[in-house]
Amino acid sequence: MARARTTLDPFNAIAEPKRRALIEVLMGKELTVTQATERLGWSQPMVSKHLSVLKQVGLVSERKEGRFCVYKLNADQLKPIHEWVFQFTRYWSNSLDHLEDYLNEVQSKEINNDE
Amino acid sequence: MTNDETPMVDPTILTREYKAPRQSVFDAWTQPEHITKWQYPFPGFTCEFISADIRPGGSSLHKMVSPNGFEMWLLTKYEEITPPERLVFRQYNANAAGDILPNLQMPNWPKEMRTTILLEEVDGKTKLQLIWQPINPTQEEAEVFEASRPEHTKGWGGGLEQLDTYLGTQ
Repeated sequence: MARARTTLDPFNAIAEPKRRALIEVLMGKELTVTQATERLGWSQPMVSKHLSVLKQVGLVSERKEGRFCVYKLNADQLKPIHEWVFQFTRYWSNSLDHLEDYLNEVQSKEINNDE
Repeated sequence: MTNDETPMVDPTILTREYKAPRQSVFDAWTQPEHITKWQYPFPGFTCEFISADIRPGGSSLHKMVSPNGFEMWLLTKYEEITPPERLVFRQYNANAAGDILPNLQMPNWPKEMRTTILLEEVDGKTKLQLIWQPINPTQEEAEVFEASRPEHTKGWGGGLEQLDTYLGTQ
């Protein structure tokens, strides 16, 4: 569904699951469109379309190598997203695990006191 | 302000099951002396309350300190407290004075998030649901929340560790 966007930032760009898959194949290695197409099993126009969005927001850069364009992930652009979500979600997810440890501790104290 | 333009966003729900009575779990969420014992993101963090007016309409301010001394204040506004089953609050990054801080790093992150804690007794255990939902998000905030959803529970594909490792090598 097409709609106008007022901003396109890296966070919006990774909202699309296909673009996250594309980012994952680019982690650690530079790829041409053909190589990315092979790895993902998508059509080449689809790969190109998503690469172009990632390029627009600076998540991916391209350089010429002979006749080909090689695409590279700019991890620095991913860091703020990752850090922010990590901070926000891990806080609760880990806290809920700590709560289990704490409740077990409290329970075992109560049992000992009852004896 | 709610209107027809407000996008609908599904909440993210985390669930856990605890081998403890529901009242104990509820107390752990609502009494500062309990909260400080478990509500921290990583081992080695300390948690301390500066103020705690934990009742509907009340608020609390607590400080978390990381092992290397980084301090973070969280302001919590309590909306609903129904012992021993339901707790609703909004939490904000704040400064030491309790002023809410804007999120400069992620300007499109939802400004207001509601957290609902539901406790249910199931076979002598307590089932907990932590429900997060942006409050009246803009279209952009809704999209950002949606974009971050895979990280809410299990991370992207190979997991957060993979991304962490990768980012660490850059």
